[in-house]
Amino acid sequence: MAAPFSQTRESPMSSNPEQRPNLYALTWRLPIIFWQLIFFVGPVLFMVAMSFFLVKNYRMTEAFEFVNWSRMLTRGFFWDSYWYTIGIATLSTVCAMCIAFPAAFALAFRASESTQRWAIFLLIIPFFTSYLVRTFSWFVILSESGVVNAMLGYVGLGPYTMLNTNFGTLVGYMTLTLPLVVILQTVTMANIDKNLIEAARNLGCSPLRTIWQVIIPLSKTGLIIAAIFCFILSFGDFVAPFYLGGSQEPTLPILILDTTKSGQQWPRAAVVAIMMMVTLFAIAFTGIALAYRKGKGAK
Amino acid sequence: MSKPLVVFDKVQKHFGDFVAVKELDFEIREGEFLAIMGPSGCGKTTTLRMLAGLEAPTFGEIRLNDRVMNDVAPHERDTPLVWQSLALFPFLTARENVEFGLKMRGVDKAERKERAFKWLDKMGILEFENRHISTLSGGQKQRVALARSLVMEPQILLLDEPLSALDAHLVIRMQAVLTDLQRELGITFVYVTHSQSEAFAMADRVIIMGKGEIGQIGTPKEIYRAPANQFVAEFVGRNNILAGKVKSVDGGTARITTPSGEFTVPTNEVNLVKDHNASFVISADLVHIATEEPDGGNKAYCKLISEEFVGSMVTLFLEDAQGHEFKVQMQERELSKFDLHSGDEIWLSWDTQSAHVLNES
Repeated sequence: MAAPFSQTRESPMSSNPEQRPNLYALTWRLPIIFWQLIFFVGPVLFMVAMSFFLVKNYRMTEAFEFVNWSRMLTRGFFWDSYWYTIGIATLSTVCAMCIAFPAAFALAFRASESTQRWAIFLLIIPFFTSYLVRTFSWFVILSESGVVNAMLGYVGLGPYTMLNTNFGTLVGYMTLTLPLVVILQTVTMANIDKNLIEAARNLGCSPLRTIWQVIIPLSKTGLIIAAIFCFILSFGDFVAPFYLGGSQEPTLPILILDTTKSGQQWPRAAVVAIMMMVTLFAIAFTGIALAYRKGKGAK
Repeated sequence: MSKPLVVFDKVQKHFGDFVAVKELDFEIREGEFLAIMGPSGCGKTTTLRMLAGLEAPTFGEIRLNDRVMNDVAPHERDTPLVWQSLALFPFLTARENVEFGLKMRGVDKAERKERAFKWLDKMGILEFENRHISTLSGGQKQRVALARSLVMEPQILLLDEPLSALDAHLVIRMQAVLTDLQRELGITFVYVTHSQSEAFAMADRVIIMGKGEIGQIGTPKEIYRAPANQFVAEFVGRNNILAGKVKSVDGGTARITTPSGEFTVPTNEVNLVKDHNASFVISADLVHIATEEPDGGNKAYCKLISEEFVGSMVTLFLEDAQGHEFKVQMQERELSKFDLHSGDEIWLSWDTQSAHVLNES
């Protein structure tokens, strides 16, 4: 008797505040919503619209034609550049993840807490300086008469061409991504429950095997997110392939620059940019879905 | 029958300047249920971890089956441990967790599965074999953790406070599961706990540790009735401890003068010397209460401070005129005859043979 009565009396009261929009909270959310609309959603929509515009006499004119899309997507040079960019960004991700892992492992499991803190602080420092400056400094090291070739010369090797090659591009990508990847991997692995590692050892798992059997599965989410970041940064980077890779094989960001320069083809550059965004969106989405996927048997 | 399986030979463990384990000299017998009990920070977990190879002794030797284990890596030992946090792998199912150790030992797939099934079944959790750890209840996880260690069919199983995270009623049930398993399998269990009820309920022998040293090794009854020293007597709780000076020694008994009065105690094997300090204990459950002053014997007049109920047992906390605390443990139905309230004054008494003199150290 009493239960239904109290339910009918209570339910409208408890649901009321959620149904009525809270003006105070909404007011605080407005700036960020406006910011996103004006500086992200708006430009993206404009870019999508622009990809259907036409260029007449080096002037962009409003139109709704599919000619930019059909021109770009049927050209070999676009797809060559597309797959090359995906390829080298993937290679960059694999390299960064592999180079970072031993360092992150040592910081997470071997270093003392204060060493760990200092290391993370030092890894943040590169972000204080311009990426462009850091990239230019590689000229000194990698050029034909640079530091590396000079040292190799002493042992009778070289000189090797390192600038304007894929190797140069990769060095640039590492400059951009490695500090971040090491930080993300370290933080992920430092949060692993050490008991689980000991439990694996206790059940007969050798130290090396523990990495594959326990540490990597436990840090899967963080590792995938680090890889996604690395891929996104490399995929969209203009500086490394342009200055260190010599843009012999243009990556998509270089293609965008070339397209805008040659004949003011902003609409076709927009097509390339949209293709890049779609690709990154798909990769980030798949990656995050993988990162948070529960194994079989989970509820 | 009870040859030593494990020998701790003058084992010490230092962490920098901190001495976690001062000097351990004891044996673990084959097939026994040994509990290591002590307050937190007493070195009990360190002792267990040294046995599992997760810590290396700073000095001394640990021998398992006469083999010196000091430099044997943890993954090359056969000393599975059940963690306090259980340490189950969250990315594996219940069965995959149980199979983990076998997989590491290179047991082939078919045999792995068969042995995992056997142990999941034995622990009564076969129906959850494909469930992820996060979807299991505390008790079920506990059983997975036990199965994961026992599937290795070890000679010795190490348990580090495995029941401390469970609800009280589950603790009792898991205690029964553990003792039954140990009797049935005949393997040695080394069980670390801070809980006296767990240790006394399950163990054949108990080691009481304090500040990195062994206070006493003995059966639960020996430790309860005849604590070796003040530390053990205090740790075991529910003991009345009285300290004073020896007034006279007469054959099998002695008179000891304490601030709370003069009492007669059996000397047992302790060498009591006149005018020297001496302490003795009386278990709380061996103290009687009376409203009238008893004739002669050992007695104390006390004021009731508080009561504590655990099931049908009551512990009375009392104080005498000198402020010395006394504890009395009795059945609730017995107590109800007295109709006591806090502040009431009452006589305590005990048989001379109930008292136990401590080896002063």
